[in-house]
Amino acid sequence: MKVVVFICLSAMLLVAAGCKKYLDKAPLDTVNSSNFFQTSQDAINAINACYQPMQRPKLYNLRMWTSDIFAGNSVTGAGGGTDGIETVEEANFTTDASNAGVLDLYRGPYPGILYCNLVLKNVPGIDMDTVLRDRIIGEAKFLRANYYFILVRYFGAVPLILEPQSPSSADYYPKRTAVPAIYQQIKQDLNDAIGLLPPRESYTGSDVGRASKGAAIATLAKVDLTLGDYADVIPLCQQVTALGYKLDANYADNFSTATKNSPESIFEIQYSGSTLYGFFDDLNQASWTSPYMGPRNTNFVGGAYGWNQPTREFVNSYEPGDLRKDVTILYPGCPAFNGNVYDSTYSTTGYNVRKFLVPTSVSPQYNTSAEDFPALRYADVLLMEAEALNEVGQTAQAAAPLNLVRERAGLPDIAGGLSQDDFRTVVLHERRMELAFEGQRWFDLIRINKGQYGLDFLHSIGHTNATAENLLLPIPLAEMQANPNLAQNPGY
Amino acid sequence: MPFNKLCFRKLIFLATLSFFYLAGLGQDRVVSGKVLDKDNNMPVSGVSIQVKNSNVGVTSDSNGDFSIRARLGSTLIVSSTGFGTLEYAPGRANTVIIRIGRLIDALQDVVVVGYGTQRKRDITGAVASVGTRDFASLPAPDAGQAVEGKAAGVQVIASGPPGNNVTFRVRGTGTINDADPLIVVDGVPADAPLNNINPDDIASFDVLKDASASAIYGSRGANGVILITTKRGHAGQGRLALNLMSGRQQAAKVVKMLDAAQFAALNNEMLSNGDQAVNPAFGNPDTLGVGTDWIGALFRTAPMQKYTVSYSGGTAKDDYYVSASMFDQQGIVQNTAYKRYTIQFNNEARVLPWLKFGNNLALTADDKPGMGANGATSYDIRNTLASNPIQPIYNKDGSYSNVLGNPLWYGDITNQIGTAHINQNDTKSYDVLGSLYAEVTLVPGLTFKTTGGLQAQFYNNRSWAPVYNFEPNPQTQSYLSQQSNTDLTYLWDNYLTYDHLFGSDHHLTVLAGTSAQNNRYNYISGNIVNFPSSVTQQLNSGTGAANVGGDGSEWALLSFMGRVNYSYKDKYLVTATVRRDRSSRFGPDNKYGTFPSASVAWRISRESFFKHVSFINDLKLRAGYGVTGNQNIGNYSFASNLNIAQYNFNNNIVSIVYPLVLPNPDVQWEQVEQGNIGVDAALFRSRLTVTVDAYIKNTSKMLVPAVVPVTTGYSSTTVPSVNAATMQNKGIELTIGSRNLVGAFTWNTDFNISFNANRITSLNDSTPLYVDNYGLNANFGVDQKGHPANEFYGYVADGLFQTQEDVAAHAVQQVGTKSSNSTSPGDIRFKDLNNDGLINSGDMTYIGNPNPKFVFGMGNSFTYKGADLNIFLQGVDGNKIFNANNIYQESMSTGENETVRTLRRWEGAGTGNFMPRAVYGDPNQNSRISTRYIEDGSYLRIKNVTLGYTFPGRLAQSMRFSSIRVYVSCSNVYTFTHYSGFDPEVGVNGVDYSVYPVTRILSAGINLNL
Repeated sequence: MKVVVFICLSAMLLVAAGCKKYLDKAPLDTVNSSNFFQTSQDAINAINACYQPMQRPKLYNLRMWTSDIFAGNSVTGAGGGTDGIETVEEANFTTDASNAGVLDLYRGPYPGILYCNLVLKNVPGIDMDTVLRDRIIGEAKFLRANYYFILVRYFGAVPLILEPQSPSSADYYPKRTAVPAIYQQIKQDLNDAIGLLPPRESYTGSDVGRASKGAAIATLAKVDLTLGDYADVIPLCQQVTALGYKLDANYADNFSTATKNSPESIFEIQYSGSTLYGFFDDLNQASWTSPYMGPRNTNFVGGAYGWNQPTREFVNSYEPGDLRKDVTILYPGCPAFNGNVYDSTYSTTGYNVRKFLVPTSVSPQYNTSAEDFPALRYADVLLMEAEALNEVGQTAQAAAPLNLVRERAGLPDIAGGLSQDDFRTVVLHERRMELAFEGQRWFDLIRINKGQYGLDFLHSIGHTNATAENLLLPIPLAEMQANPNLAQNPGY
Repeated sequence: MPFNKLCFRKLIFLATLSFFYLAGLGQDRVVSGKVLDKDNNMPVSGVSIQVKNSNVGVTSDSNGDFSIRARLGSTLIVSSTGFGTLEYAPGRANTVIIRIGRLIDALQDVVVVGYGTQRKRDITGAVASVGTRDFASLPAPDAGQAVEGKAAGVQVIASGPPGNNVTFRVRGTGTINDADPLIVVDGVPADAPLNNINPDDIASFDVLKDASASAIYGSRGANGVILITTKRGHAGQGRLALNLMSGRQQAAKVVKMLDAAQFAALNNEMLSNGDQAVNPAFGNPDTLGVGTDWIGALFRTAPMQKYTVSYSGGTAKDDYYVSASMFDQQGIVQNTAYKRYTIQFNNEARVLPWLKFGNNLALTADDKPGMGANGATSYDIRNTLASNPIQPIYNKDGSYSNVLGNPLWYGDITNQIGTAHINQNDTKSYDVLGSLYAEVTLVPGLTFKTTGGLQAQFYNNRSWAPVYNFEPNPQTQSYLSQQSNTDLTYLWDNYLTYDHLFGSDHHLTVLAGTSAQNNRYNYISGNIVNFPSSVTQQLNSGTGAANVGGDGSEWALLSFMGRVNYSYKDKYLVTATVRRDRSSRFGPDNKYGTFPSASVAWRISRESFFKHVSFINDLKLRAGYGVTGNQNIGNYSFASNLNIAQYNFNNNIVSIVYPLVLPNPDVQWEQVEQGNIGVDAALFRSRLTVTVDAYIKNTSKMLVPAVVPVTTGYSSTTVPSVNAATMQNKGIELTIGSRNLVGAFTWNTDFNISFNANRITSLNDSTPLYVDNYGLNANFGVDQKGHPANEFYGYVADGLFQTQEDVAAHAVQQVGTKSSNSTSPGDIRFKDLNNDGLINSGDMTYIGNPNPKFVFGMGNSFTYKGADLNIFLQGVDGNKIFNANNIYQESMSTGENETVRTLRRWEGAGTGNFMPRAVYGDPNQNSRISTRYIEDGSYLRIKNVTLGYTFPGRLAQSMRFSSIRVYVSCSNVYTFTHYSGFDPEVGVNGVDYSVYPVTRILSAGINLNL
């Protein structure tokens, strides 16, 4: 019996003595933050992550291109009811601080900024190949500048966070940083990136598509253009040209899965069409442009949700003979798309966007599109150069880069002898048609003449209730509630 | 047989009968009969049967049979230990069936309380025991559905497709997080889906409701504990039982949708109001007739069957209970079903006087066609409602039809009957739930028990879609996805129990023990597209793009527990428990949680001064207080980790490592402090029993999402939880059992009602938490300080604008240039609550509480001779339902079909004040979240009516059965409700969105005992 008692008690003690290890359960599918950032592979994996937020629906997969809807190029379309209601509100200039699209644009960049800040804080200390390390730091600076450039244009002053934060950080609830200080940081990051990044040609294999020196220069040109520093824009554009960028012979190649990262591409958002992650997941690797823009409930493409329907005013703005129209727009009587004949009843405006559609033979399902999004391409650089030259008074010289773009579109050179104002009108029209539905139009509307250009345009197409205050989006309500130190933009 | 011959025989028979009748008056005769346990219709042996006012008495044999000489008109006194005593007047019958019940307050009854049992009279906490006697004749696939409405303080929500598990709420919603109670099966805390257990195998179903009862389960006791014990064999002659049941099911109610003509008229009106081209084919809507009833085509009348066979028995040295069952339920929705096979082995062997071993083992295999990974289904009720009535289901060649054309005219819903038939989803599960124990009596009164438990769940999900071409969402590539899941839980419990009576007055029971439990879950998944043939549905046969996935997670819990029960003269009772849990889920700074409780009871009826209160035969006051925890907080909330994922450059896959969630190393359990007072009373010689409990349940350290500013870069949606909020539930529960009539005709009534009020008393900040986002771009509910959990939040609809002047007089809702793009007559007027002249999010408010004010159940059972009738009613009151189907099905702004309620839509000034105008695009956002969709969720349901008949003993015996009972039963007979949707029993958050409705089941069965 004693033996039995002994066995019983030791069984209990065995459990009691236990088993610290028994209770040590760490996640099985993640790495520990304390032992990361040790090797060059860690650095590569960390910088790769910095690109990923660009892909998300909060940025280039949806919200960046839906800005063309509130810029007046198109209407939401979608399914009616509450489908796309946030975009309808934005387009009607009835946006309030609880708008879901606004929240997305605010939430989109900051994860990328965190990942860049982690790289910039940790990678310099890794013992690794210095050329690679410089490139990675350059990529992080380029990307951080891009994320802030998106924020500052949509929201104006936003908190400028340059270090990874924790709840104990002094600026865990930051105030908004004034716009000039944000631009100063953006320009510094881009200038650093220009020095650190290699030219596009040095990237091969699975590095094609990374940030390059040319991308940093072109982005800096766009920043200067936005700030109205036209004199600074011109040499930057010329440096891009000197790096060997050129227009694709075929306009459509910019939007084709067969010609990704083409010669004209300066920086594009990469999509593989992999179905590994859910279509609505932040990690989704499939492009939304084709399924979202396909004429609703048709066989044109996999998905076909009918968003982004061009207005009649936009379609009528094409000059006769513009080859871009058939690439960009589905209209009654247009060439068949992959054998499908377009019918105006597919859309509330009678038109759909064609530019980004991927035929089902290439992308069979809604979640398989591998179409990249052209964030910045050489045609934009040429048009920036033309605009800047005109603004600094060299209107005659400005025609040459503009005509390169027009020639590819099958259009004659612009008439000579235009006044500076007339040339400005022409070049802005050209930007609108060339870069249509690429998320650029809104930024053009709000930057020129302090936004008056945009207001005049919006009023001219019937959005008479748009005010100067509408040119900045509200700080999202959720963030105002989360951070007591934020002030709201006027008018919201 | 010639008529006159038959007639003649009848006459002879009647004559003989009357002769015996006349002759019998005042004569001794032999009454023979059978005594059955009315809980389970099993024969009861050893029952004493005496003729009143005489010394004639016999005892029932092992078949429950007896025969006794008794004068006509005399009364029999039937008694047995544990069953109480009843008087039975056989009348003129010579063959009788006597049902004796364990008295409702049978104080000797044993209740399972966790790591032991207690006599009911010794209980000091709030424990509900649900009778399991009717489990065998209810057409319920699992115990959860069988106990709905049966216990005060235990709410059951049972809607869902076949094989779905019910949701339990014990004493309200204790937390906005996981509020499910812990389920313990035969001593093994199991993450068990309840439907793994055949209800016929369940012997007892006890619910520990208050903290003093559930604190012995420490960090898992906060939401209550359900203790299920399966049947065991008993010494004596072996028993073979057969339960056979067969039934038919149909939807109790189906929402009526517009027919083709009505749809076309609505469509024309909607489009012309929205400045859109109307369909020329709808020029004369009346000619379109009725069209297709899609929802009718999705539903069907479906059969169900249940067969259980069990044998049990035992000797002084051992006992056994073995059963096997098959349950087969076709769903009322096409291609849904639930099929289950179970085997149960329960044994105990008393090997030596001081040593016994035992085991409980349940093996379950089930199959849920229609339910794939992550709840994927082939059918979609909401989309079926939305389907176009003009579109036929089939083309002339028998293939499934396409949407007929322009989505504004014909909608854009893929053929729902097609997808329900063509797409396949399936989940197959194989479960083992078992325990093996040894119990050693070390010295008299002191026992040691060690239990090893295992729960192994293996389940495989599969989804298959062949190529099909019906628009608008054709499947252009065949697709197969499979997922294999393994979920293993191991348990090792050790505890000592000391039970001793000191003198005759001091009874002490002490328990001390340890428990170790750990779990590991793994899955692997794969999917691939492009199958050359639909015949070979194997992952290897796909030729297109493939994906693989897999992951795992673990948890472990190490615990010490103790309990002391002390009673003095059975009059003053004290219970104290403590449990100390260490969990792998807690953060490094909070590895330990200690959960104490104490309760006292006073049996006033044992006091001498109470002796003269003759009508109360037992009265006990109880009071208790305790602390429990909820450790269902996620396995790794504390960890600081970097996620690994995939990205691409130029179509080349590369890996990324990134942080997603801000870590919270301080995370710990949620805590519930609960006080309970109660009264148990038995009156009129236990004819009436009453239990009343009142409680206050304060949840603290409730996990709420941390406030993570977007600017940190960490996800502001997937945020760490912090133990920062509090909630209160308080309520009153009343249970009444009454034996209204006793004797030959019995009538018993059981009634229970539970009132509960739930309120969030604090959140970590003023930001409300939005809940119930169904991916509809809308939050229906909100959690906010001072409000009940998951309260609905939205605009207040205030009738319709009848004229343009009405519109102009009201706050601005939607400006525009014409009625097709702005607020116009016929649109809903939303209240301008902040009086700023503008209808926007500032005008949203709390518009409905999904939590019922009270829930109740009432059973009435009648027996007369061999017949028994049970009528069970159940209901909830005071809750609101958000009818989210109607966001679409009454929006009248798209090409989708709408409910017949839209026939009462506004069509001009004075034509209505509720259902707005039909207008394409809904410029006024009439379909925004508002009181328009809030409906009263109260209902009273005739849950079940069962009529049974037990054949007289002789007839049964002539067929070599010890008893035969046949019955017919109807479940969900009728529901009294104002709710306009399918059924008011929607999910626990009160949102009706594509919910699989409750079904009406008509069944018949037979219980055979050998």
